[in-house]
Amino acid sequence: MSANNPLLATHNLSKLYGGVVAVDKLTLAVPRGSVTGIIGPNGAGKSTLIGLLSGALLPSGGTISFGGRDVTGLATSERARLGIGRTYQIPRPFLDMTVEENLAVAQWACRARVRGASARGRRAELLRECGLSDVATQPATQLPLLRRKRLEVARALALEPQLLLLDEVGSGLIDAEITELIALIRRIGSWGVTIVIVEHVLRIVRECCSQLLVLNFGRQLAAGTPVEILASEEVATVYLGTAHSQGATAQAPNAQGAARLANVAANPDALANAVSAREPLTVLVAHRPVPGAPAVAGAPLLQLTKVSASYGQVRALRDVDLEVHSGEVLALLGANGAGKTTLALVISGSLPAHGRVAIDGIVVSRTRPGGIAALGIAHCMEGRRIFTDLTVEQNLRVAARRAARPEVAARLDAVYTLFPVLAGRRGDPGAAMSGGQQQMLAIGRALMARPRLVIFDEISLGLAPIIIDRLYETLALLKQAGLAMLIVEQDVNRALAIADRACVLEHGALAFTGAARAVREDARLRRLYLGEAD
Amino acid sequence: MARQLKARSAGFAALILALALLGVAPAVLREYDTQILLRMLLALVLAESWNLLAGYGGLVSLGTSSAVGLGGYVLVGLLNHSILPLPVVILAAALSGAVLAALASPGLLRLRGLYFTVGTLALAEALRLVMINVNQFGGATGLFLNRDPPALGALVWIAVGLLLVTLLVMEFCAHSGVSLLLRAVRDDQDVAAQMGVRPFRVKLAAFAAASALMAAAGGLQALKLGAIEPYGMFGLRWSIDTLAMVVIGGLGTRAGPVIGVVLVMLSGELLADYPEAHLALTGLLMMLAMRFAPRGVAGLLAVLPARWRARTTGA
Repeated sequence: MSANNPLLATHNLSKLYGGVVAVDKLTLAVPRGSVTGIIGPNGAGKSTLIGLLSGALLPSGGTISFGGRDVTGLATSERARLGIGRTYQIPRPFLDMTVEENLAVAQWACRARVRGASARGRRAELLRECGLSDVATQPATQLPLLRRKRLEVARALALEPQLLLLDEVGSGLIDAEITELIALIRRIGSWGVTIVIVEHVLRIVRECCSQLLVLNFGRQLAAGTPVEILASEEVATVYLGTAHSQGATAQAPNAQGAARLANVAANPDALANAVSAREPLTVLVAHRPVPGAPAVAGAPLLQLTKVSASYGQVRALRDVDLEVHSGEVLALLGANGAGKTTLALVISGSLPAHGRVAIDGIVVSRTRPGGIAALGIAHCMEGRRIFTDLTVEQNLRVAARRAARPEVAARLDAVYTLFPVLAGRRGDPGAAMSGGQQQMLAIGRALMARPRLVIFDEISLGLAPIIIDRLYETLALLKQAGLAMLIVEQDVNRALAIADRACVLEHGALAFTGAARAVREDARLRRLYLGEAD
Repeated sequence: MARQLKARSAGFAALILALALLGVAPAVLREYDTQILLRMLLALVLAESWNLLAGYGGLVSLGTSSAVGLGGYVLVGLLNHSILPLPVVILAAALSGAVLAALASPGLLRLRGLYFTVGTLALAEALRLVMINVNQFGGATGLFLNRDPPALGALVWIAVGLLLVTLLVMEFCAHSGVSLLLRAVRDDQDVAAQMGVRPFRVKLAAFAAASALMAAAGGLQALKLGAIEPYGMFGLRWSIDTLAMVVIGGLGTRAGPVIGVVLVMLSGELLADYPEAHLALTGLLMMLAMRFAPRGVAGLLAVLPARWRARTTGA
């Protein structure tokens, strides 16, 4: 590898947001044809780095060179024309266009490279590579989140880049899909494209990358081959979580994290600092129905009977039955597109559905989301969905509008005790928070309504393993405090470690349901998630 | 592909025929109706250009009046103080619109969304105040045209020509890769840049083209009036009327401007004795369009037949 002549190099690259240093004098070199992985905790500056490299952000200091040329002052569009393509962590397709047109934009903008009939052929080829052939003529608005992520990759490739910056394309995928993604990244690499991957899914990093860089607080913490880095003690402490230090296989962090969690759940005193956090939880968790709301004695907290939902012509849910009892934790599992998020939306009243949805035995099928929330059901939505223009504290207050002032103050205190990092940033806008902090804020916001049941939809999406550990420790505490939860999660082991029961969705229908332990052993689950043959 | 081409050329033939008919119309119509026809033609040029800006480029402008007014003043000024022939003067008026856009672009095009809208409004008001206060431009009383204006029939012919140019520009912008670039910049400028699109250039091109067409229309308006004054030529009415017509007809659709112009002007004629009622009706239609038909009447026409079919087969 020609280390003397890297395709991309930075020298003392820095980025400051106000007083916060996001990237601090970073010097790195990406050799031509290599696949470089960048990992690090949330808020380490990874997305900022991608922004700096692609030109979306202006550096506060330092230089960037690409192909031997200084591109520090070059506009985004000009860097793209030189051959730097990128994807966005949260997909940003051109929603008003079809999938194929999304690809054609780059081809048209850089007509010199591909044109005419060969451009159309190339689009078809890229869509096939990324598994989007069947939706080529569909409007991009109709794609669900994970297919939008594929579209991000296809669209960046339509630029025919020399350097491809992939920002967390693997988050939210199940194992079988990750296997496909790894194959795709390798194929792209084999076309001669140099790749930089920012990723939390360690399997992708391990199997694709030739070199690995660990960022922490905007600085390079370590660099080397994936094997070296993933075995390093230092990296384990800041990023992987202590439980991971000796494990380097794909399942290890999950399994061990889960074991640790089970330990916390069984023996709460094991987590010394968590004990102090348990006290205020009663302020955030309600046990009884809202006074004055009608209820049928003995009825489950939440009951769904023959619930179906569809998006236009597409049936997303078919005759789903499920129950959540007071204080119970139910894991909702299934492959992407199985209907988990749809089900969450139906329960919180955000999506109209057929069938019967009852809370405390009272049918709420036609109740609006505000009414459902008032009954003590909170929804921590996929993708965090915090109000980016509001401050942290305003975000939290929004969810507790109905409560009396001293009550709100008590709940705020409780949330800040639960997530001390939020207390320090209460005056900062939501947009300024890192991914992990945003997720904590989203959870805190859900709790501010003092709910009886919270739907947690993919709270681990795009987060560092150590942060996920922390979030699930919090969930374990909430479970102890008696909060009922419906957990939608790709990380099966984590979800099953905390759940009492689990149900598995397949193609919008309930495939099977049972005690968490039984479901974990079920061969059908392995087949669904790992794509193994029967 | 061949069928598409055939449909396209058939469409063109129909268009040419329609424009020719419009051109012949003054010979048949009464003077009053011909006046209405001319107003419609100019309104259509403005609506088409505004649709290019706002519908395709996402640049919602309240500065239509600045281009219209400038075009009018440039035309009258050149006709009064030079011996240039009329076609050249009209071209110069159009050019002035493009130059105005280019000069304003370093400031205006860096503003996004609502800020751009407010910026264009500020520009239009500033131009109007300049015209009122600078005596060389006639001040508040305005300017009179020294030369004899062309006959009404000839004006209609020129307007039909201008409309043809406008439609060709729109055809080019709506049916080629140019439309992709425009829509990409409109939908998400940052992502577009990441795809190698140069947002500033794309917006400038749309802004300059639309302003040139608007200024030419303003020139024709001045030619028709024979006398101009700043309150009328730079009046907010141009900006608001144009916006209303396109929003009602269908923002970002090809048929929208035509439908909007015909609907609004026709209702205006029917309610000629009650101008307030026409204003209220236009406002109401606009609100209804924004609430229930974001793509206006054109959008409804595209969607409704399918819905009806679905209902009849479903029942």
